[in-house]
Amino acid sequence: MIRFEGVTHCYGDHKALDDLDLEVDRGETLALLGPNGAGKSTTISILLGLVTPRLGSVEVLGASPRQAVAQGRVGAMLQTGSSSGLPPGVRVEKALQLVRRLYRQPAPFDLIVERAGIGDLLQRRTQHLSGGQAQRVRFAIAIAGDPELIFFDEPTAAMDVDSRRSFWRMIRQFGREGRTTVFATHHLQEADEIADRVIVVNHGRVVANGPGTTIKAAVCTRRLRFVVENPDERVLDALEGVTDVEVRGKGVVLDSLDADATVKALVKSQVAFRDLELTSAGLEEAFIALTERRPAPTGELGV
Amino acid sequence: MSALLAFGRFEVGRLIRSWKFLTITVGFPVIFYMLFLGDHSAGKVIDGATPWRVYLMVTMCSFGALVSSLTAGGSRLSIERGSGWARQLRVTPLPSWSYVATKVTASMLVVLPVVMLVEIVGIGFGGVRLGVGTWFELTALLWVTALPFAVLGTFVGFMVHAETAFPVVTGLMFVLGYFGGLFNPVDHMPYALQVTARILPSYHQASLGLAVIDGHGLGALHWLVLAAYAAALGLVIVWKHRVEEARGLA
Repeated sequence: MIRFEGVTHCYGDHKALDDLDLEVDRGETLALLGPNGAGKSTTISILLGLVTPRLGSVEVLGASPRQAVAQGRVGAMLQTGSSSGLPPGVRVEKALQLVRRLYRQPAPFDLIVERAGIGDLLQRRTQHLSGGQAQRVRFAIAIAGDPELIFFDEPTAAMDVDSRRSFWRMIRQFGREGRTTVFATHHLQEADEIADRVIVVNHGRVVANGPGTTIKAAVCTRRLRFVVENPDERVLDALEGVTDVEVRGKGVVLDSLDADATVKALVKSQVAFRDLELTSAGLEEAFIALTERRPAPTGELGV
Repeated sequence: MSALLAFGRFEVGRLIRSWKFLTITVGFPVIFYMLFLGDHSAGKVIDGATPWRVYLMVTMCSFGALVSSLTAGGSRLSIERGSGWARQLRVTPLPSWSYVATKVTASMLVVLPVVMLVEIVGIGFGGVRLGVGTWFELTALLWVTALPFAVLGTFVGFMVHAETAFPVVTGLMFVLGYFGGLFNPVDHMPYALQVTARILPSYHQASLGLAVIDGHGLGALHWLVLAAYAAALGLVIVWKHRVEEARGLA
């Protein structure tokens, strides 16, 4: 479906992608997860043929990205920053009809309207849409050609909670219809909720690759809470696996990348702790732990 | 092919449905024709051959072609390119070259009715009378030679930022209109301005139109200058388009 091998791309001196590999199977829903500037948008631009990478080979639907787009088999919702991404001065209906006519076998008009939830926006001119409304229209445009493969670059950025949920439902529906979806996001929850597989990207490299739960396990930041009479921060910080120490009076909170090792070390250190509590750190913490570190070899995180 | 047609129809439809566009492109040349015609000068003869009302009709056709082209491209195009829509079109099956080509073609398509409208006002208001063959020749010629203007409008849309495009367009209308001799015969201007006029496409386009009227034959130099303008500006647009594509911006 998609093969992306050893792709490197630079903008001036900035290395946006650094020998990045990825593969997507037919019908799969893949999330590209990473902070801003990680290389997600560049990856999508390359897969759409908008950008030609310096190095590496890219194949989309058995062809070059540009061929796949020209064949009308690909749809995309791009990031547009503060602008609408729509033709100014045109009614939504006209813009959508135009895009449908650019494809040989477009999706039925009514189905697109229903799926994007833009029935009430059809007669509006594009410059009068709110950010979230424009995003729904761009979603409609992305699916207008009834594509086998759809790209979404931070699709829910301007959406409220309700639109976001209905968007997620839509993506799952695409998966059931056998369509392949690739979307970029920096919301872990979003990636975890809708993707079959999550690829974490940072500094232009793949940091981790697997189902959402595996990603979490790979970085299992666990949080240990306990009480000690006279906590010594230096001793606690030196324990195996500990990434962060917080001491408040007698209460101690440790973040650890290896909870088992930390507990063993804690016992050995003969710190007189009590009321030990062990929790899994939230997804956000796991994500920060993943992306804040410098680029690491993929193997280290147990891909 | 059907994708191209759909896009062309869409672009032309957008232009003719825009009130701002219609008011400017139709209003300017028509109002200026009526304004500058003047009762006393309507029968005045320019350079011993062409009556002022005919001269002005031809130059206002030129001006109409210029204004509609600059308005069709210009800030409209600049704003659109900034909106991300051009980029969105690149991820549809529409061939990437067709974006520029369709913009220029759409400009050309709206030039024709503007030229014809000014001619009708010339007939009705200015009392211009020409032979049927001359009308056809004049209309066809003014239309074809509007190509450099259509390319120029697209050029401004590509090269100038949306915020500065409007003053640039206004400036170009004034410079090409006034110094190109569209409001006042070039031969009546000071020598320096007469020289200036000869480097402007508007002067050469109007000169070709006037040559049809007084039967002087169509000067090759005029054609050459117009073709050079169209080609040079067109090449810069194509270059800019390529650069943006390579960077993934457009």
